[in-house]
Amino acid sequence: MAVKIKTNNGLIDISNGVVAIVVGCAATSNYGVVGMASKNAFRDGFDGILNRANYKRGVVVKSEDNRITVDVYIIVGYGLKISEVSRNVQGSVKFNLKNQLGIDTKAVNVIVQSVKVLDE
Amino acid sequence: MVLKEIDSKKFRDMVRVATHRLGRNAEFIDSLNVFPVPDGDTGTNMNLTIESGAKAVAENTSSMVGELTESLAKGMLMGARGNSGVISSQLFRGFYKATVGLKTMNAQELANAFSNGVATAYKAVMKPVEGTILTVARVAAQEGANKANETDDVEEVLTAIVEGAKAALKTTPDLLPVLKQVGVVDSGGQGLLFIYEGFLEGLLGEKFTDRYQPDEGEMDEMINAMHHQSVQSQLATQDIENGYCTEIMVDLTADVPHKKPFKLEEFREHLSGLGDSLLAVSDDEVAKVHVHTEHPGAVFTYGSQFGQLGKIKIDNMRIQHETIVNNSDEDQQSVEFAVIAVASGNGIRTLFESEGVNRIISGGQTMNPSTQDIIDAIKKSGAKKAIVLPNNGNIVMAAKQAAEVSDLPVGIVPSKTISQGLTAMLSFDPDLSVEENVDNMTQALADVVSGEVTQANRDTTINDVEIHQNDYLGIIDGDIKIAETDVVTAAFDMVEKMLDEDSEIITIMFGRDSNEREAQKIVSALEEKHDELEFEIHDGGQPVYNFLVSVE
Repeated sequence: MAVKIKTNNGLIDISNGVVAIVVGCAATSNYGVVGMASKNAFRDGFDGILNRANYKRGVVVKSEDNRITVDVYIIVGYGLKISEVSRNVQGSVKFNLKNQLGIDTKAVNVIVQSVKVLDE
Repeated sequence: MVLKEIDSKKFRDMVRVATHRLGRNAEFIDSLNVFPVPDGDTGTNMNLTIESGAKAVAENTSSMVGELTESLAKGMLMGARGNSGVISSQLFRGFYKATVGLKTMNAQELANAFSNGVATAYKAVMKPVEGTILTVARVAAQEGANKANETDDVEEVLTAIVEGAKAALKTTPDLLPVLKQVGVVDSGGQGLLFIYEGFLEGLLGEKFTDRYQPDEGEMDEMINAMHHQSVQSQLATQDIENGYCTEIMVDLTADVPHKKPFKLEEFREHLSGLGDSLLAVSDDEVAKVHVHTEHPGAVFTYGSQFGQLGKIKIDNMRIQHETIVNNSDEDQQSVEFAVIAVASGNGIRTLFESEGVNRIISGGQTMNPSTQDIIDAIKKSGAKKAIVLPNNGNIVMAAKQAAEVSDLPVGIVPSKTISQGLTAMLSFDPDLSVEENVDNMTQALADVVSGEVTQANRDTTINDVEIHQNDYLGIIDGDIKIAETDVVTAAFDMVEKMLDEDSEIITIMFGRDSNEREAQKIVSALEEKHDELEFEIHDGGQPVYNFLVSVE
C-alpha cells in the first residue's frame, strides 16, 4: 500500500518506504529518541535499534483520502520525560510529512517500544 | 574578593534569577524559533521547564547544594516541555549527578557539574545536531573546565561559562543552515544563555536586569524569523490582514512639541491595536518598532509623540507575496483547451480562475502585456487551442496579433473590461470549437454593462463632464460619465446610470485603494432604491480602479 495524492495533473504515488524514511528520520532527530524499534518486537527482538534501511519495520502507514495515520515505534533514553519526547516526535513527524511530502496527517501515534538505559 | 564556593543560599539565588531572566525573555526566544519545527514556542517551553525546576528547589529546605540540584533536575524532568525543555532537563540531570552529596560547590566541582550535564545530554541523542542548544552547552562547559584549571574562583569559572555560551551561540548560524538562511541564532541556545547569565547574576547578588534588550543585529534576527514563520503559514495574498510591514525607530532623547513620557508597556499596548506581529523594544535612548499594519501612518504619528523618528521602512507585503505567488504560477496545469485572461489584482485573478481560466497574464490599464507576452502564455499553457480574454480595449489589438502568429487555433473574445471578461467566461464550453466559443462569448459581452471608478490625475473636460484633479470618475463602457469628489457617491451615481429595466445582478469588485466597507455603503444606498436587485461584493485587489462594477 502507498500514499496516493490526487492533483490536477494526475496521481502521485508515494511508497510506504519513502514515508517510513521521512517519518523515521523526523522521529530520530528528536532529542531523547535513541532509535527506531520494530513494530514486531517479538519477532525482531525487543530492544533492537533499526538502521535506516529498516525504518519501515517501525513505521505503519494507513492512508485514507489525502490524509494518513502513522504509527511510529521508538526507543527512548532512560531518564527522560517519555511523554514529552513522544509529543515532540508527533510534532516533528507531522511537520516533516507536510513539509517534505505535502501529506496531511490525521494522527501520529507514538509507541514507545523500549527504554534504553544510557550509561551514566 | 575571591568567591571559593557556592552554598545552598547562593544556589537558590542563581536558580531564581535564571528563571526570572528566562521568563522575561521567553517571547524573544519564541521569536527566534525556526528549528526543528518553526512553531515559535521554544521560549515558552523552556520557561515552563525551568519554572517547574525552580518550584521544586523553592520547596526544598535543604542546606545541601547536592540536594537542591537534585530537586532542580527532578522538577525540570517533570515539567519538561518541547525539545529544548527536554534537553535542558537532561543537562541538569547530568549536572545533579555530579553534585550528589555536596554541601557546597567549589570551582572545580562547578565546572565538572556543567561538563557532566553535557555528557549526559549528548548520550540521549542519536545524531547530535550541531548549531543547537547542545553546541552552546558543550562549548560553555569546555570553557568552564579550562578556567577551573587556572583558578579556584567560582565567579571566574561561571563567567567563562557565560562567555563560552555567548561565543558558541554566535556560531550557530554557521553550523545549522536553516538558521543561516533565516538569519537567526538558535532559539534554544539563546534560552540556555539566558539561564547561564541568570546564574551569574544570581551568584553576584546583583539586582537583576529586566527584560533583555536586543541590539540592532538581534532585532533584525527576530524580524527575519517572524517573517520566516509568517511565510510558512500564509497561503493566499488576500489572507494577509495587515499589508504593510512597518518599521520605525524613535529617538527618545530628541525634543518634539507636546512630547509625551515614554512607557514601553503603554507603547506596546497601543501599537498592538494597530496591527499584528508586533515587536517593540527600547532602551533609554531609542525605541524600535516592527509591526504589520494596514495603517503605517498611524504608527508614525503615534511614535512621533515620543521623540524624533529615525529609520523608517515600509514594505507592502501583499505585493511581495503576490510576486511569490505569481512566480509559482509557472507550474500551472496543461489542458486541452486553454483560456487566457489578462488581469491584475489577486482577487480578480482568483475570480477568473474559479471560472476556469487556465492562465492569467498580469496587466491592465497601466501595464499592457505585449503580443509576445500573450504568445508566451499560450505556449506555456501547453494547450492545443486557446481563447484569449484581453479585458481591456488597449490589449485587444495585441491579442489579435498574437492569435495571427500562433501555430495553434487561437480565438480572441474582444472583452474591453474585467466585468465583460468575467461574464464572457460563463459562456465558455470546452467541448465546443474555438469559433463557436468566440461567438457565444462575444455575444455574452452585450449582456453586461461595465463600470469603473478611478481617480483623475489632472483637470480636463471630456464628454461635457468637467473633471478636477483627484475627482473620482465613473466610466461606463469606456466613457467617462461621472466626476465626483467622493468615491462612494461617484460609484453610486455611476451604477444608477448603468441600470435599466433588465438589470438583475450587480457585481462590485473593490480594488487595492478601496475596501469592503465602502462597497457595502454603495450597496446599501442602492438597495434602498432598488429592492429587486441582487448584489455581490468581491475583493478584486486590482490596482488603478477603486471599483469595478458589472450590471447584468
